[in-house]
Amino acid sequence: MRYGGEGRTRLLLIILIVTALFLITLDLRGVAVLDGARQGTQTILSPFQKAGNFILSPVKNFVSDLTHLGRTRNQIEKLRADNAKLKADLLNRKNADAQLKQLESILDLAGTAGYKVVNAKVISQGSSQSFSQTVTIDSGSNAGIKKNMTVLSQTGIAGVVKDVYPTTALVMLATDPAFKIGVRIAGTQQIGILSGRGSRSGSLQLLDNLTTVKVGDVLLARGSVANRPFVPGVPVGYVTAVDNSAGEIAQSGTVRYYTNFGALGVLAVVVSASSSNPGDALVPPKPVPTPIPTVTVYVTPSPSPTK
Amino acid sequence: MLTRQISLSVPVFLFIFLFQEAVVSQFKLPGGGFSLFVIFALVWAVISTPEIAALTGFGAGILMDMSGGAGGPVGQWTLIMIIVCYGVSYLGYGDGNINGNPIGVVFFVVVANLLTEMLFLTSSALLGVTTGSFGQVLVTLLGNSLWTLVITPIVLPVFSFMHNFVFETRSAL
Repeated sequence: MRYGGEGRTRLLLIILIVTALFLITLDLRGVAVLDGARQGTQTILSPFQKAGNFILSPVKNFVSDLTHLGRTRNQIEKLRADNAKLKADLLNRKNADAQLKQLESILDLAGTAGYKVVNAKVISQGSSQSFSQTVTIDSGSNAGIKKNMTVLSQTGIAGVVKDVYPTTALVMLATDPAFKIGVRIAGTQQIGILSGRGSRSGSLQLLDNLTTVKVGDVLLARGSVANRPFVPGVPVGYVTAVDNSAGEIAQSGTVRYYTNFGALGVLAVVVSASSSNPGDALVPPKPVPTPIPTVTVYVTPSPSPTK
Repeated sequence: MLTRQISLSVPVFLFIFLFQEAVVSQFKLPGGGFSLFVIFALVWAVISTPEIAALTGFGAGILMDMSGGAGGPVGQWTLIMIIVCYGVSYLGYGDGNINGNPIGVVFFVVVANLLTEMLFLTSSALLGVTTGSFGQVLVTLLGNSLWTLVITPIVLPVFSFMHNFVFETRSAL
């Protein structure tokens, strides 16, 4: 049976829809009251998010870790070994150690380039309901963070500050489809634009049709005017595939980010960059193959064979 | 009566919203995960009258718009939730096979959740909000629907109990 559809209900529905359209119009026109309301809500939510993060941090990566199982036998073996070792540690200590390691790597990266950074913990993952890839960190404008600042992980670029609240900030991850960054290839200095694709791979589009890119090339952030949104020299990723389609004006390719977006624990926001461009100083070292020892046996025949 | 219903509904919605933001959003689930708050709002709408459902959509949408992770402008989720909540309630109201049957409610919630996502995509395109590649959108749509299909039957008895308590109805799912 369908609802009778009384006039009162229809009037209420119209009023509510008009109110929603009114709110959209106000927000698109940049009325500050609505931004204030969002900031206020985020300020209220942040203590709860921090508490949730603290309580759930030992288990929250469990499901995402499960999805990576089975990729390679070696990884499974390594995880088993790690698991056995870590069982001995206290649960909270284990988490703190992991975050300390990430923090050390981030500080190494920032120190090499001379960036001044504010460290922050990831306290919430963004909702996929909005088809965006964001995280919330536990530092905001009170710590000197502003909109459009570069965000680093332990291995390279993680994203950019999208919104700032007094005690928290929303970071748009480099995997977000709306994310775009100007990059240059380490060594050759060719430039291009890298766009997020929703996964750990990004799309690279070179700007010059005379230049070429090859698999394995390392990409660094080209930097922006006044270092916002991007400071120069941050490692972004490496080229995994090159598209040489005849119809393309310039070469394009696929890039794998250095950052593991599935395990973001600690991030750093670059609040000021060094006056000099770090150039290629932050290019991650290539893995060195472990030498395999060989044994050479020399056999000399005896002059008089024995019977 | 209305004062009692509103004074009981508001804390319930705020609690679920807080739980979504503080607990559910901590987990990075495959396929994009799910929104417990959206599931709650849709269940509430399916088993309510269209009038209550429209108000439910409005309240839930406002809260979603106030969340820091909301993708679009304030009001976008409000508009979507009003339309979807009213729609599912209008179509199912008085039909015991839908709002009196747990399978019917689960089916309606899953379809409504998918509709919500698709309306968000459509309105985002109109408002100039980037939503990603076709493949990624497809994965999120499928992932969200599957998660909703799994989670809704688990939480339905609890949400139904809350609804019965607030509206003092005797039927239970």
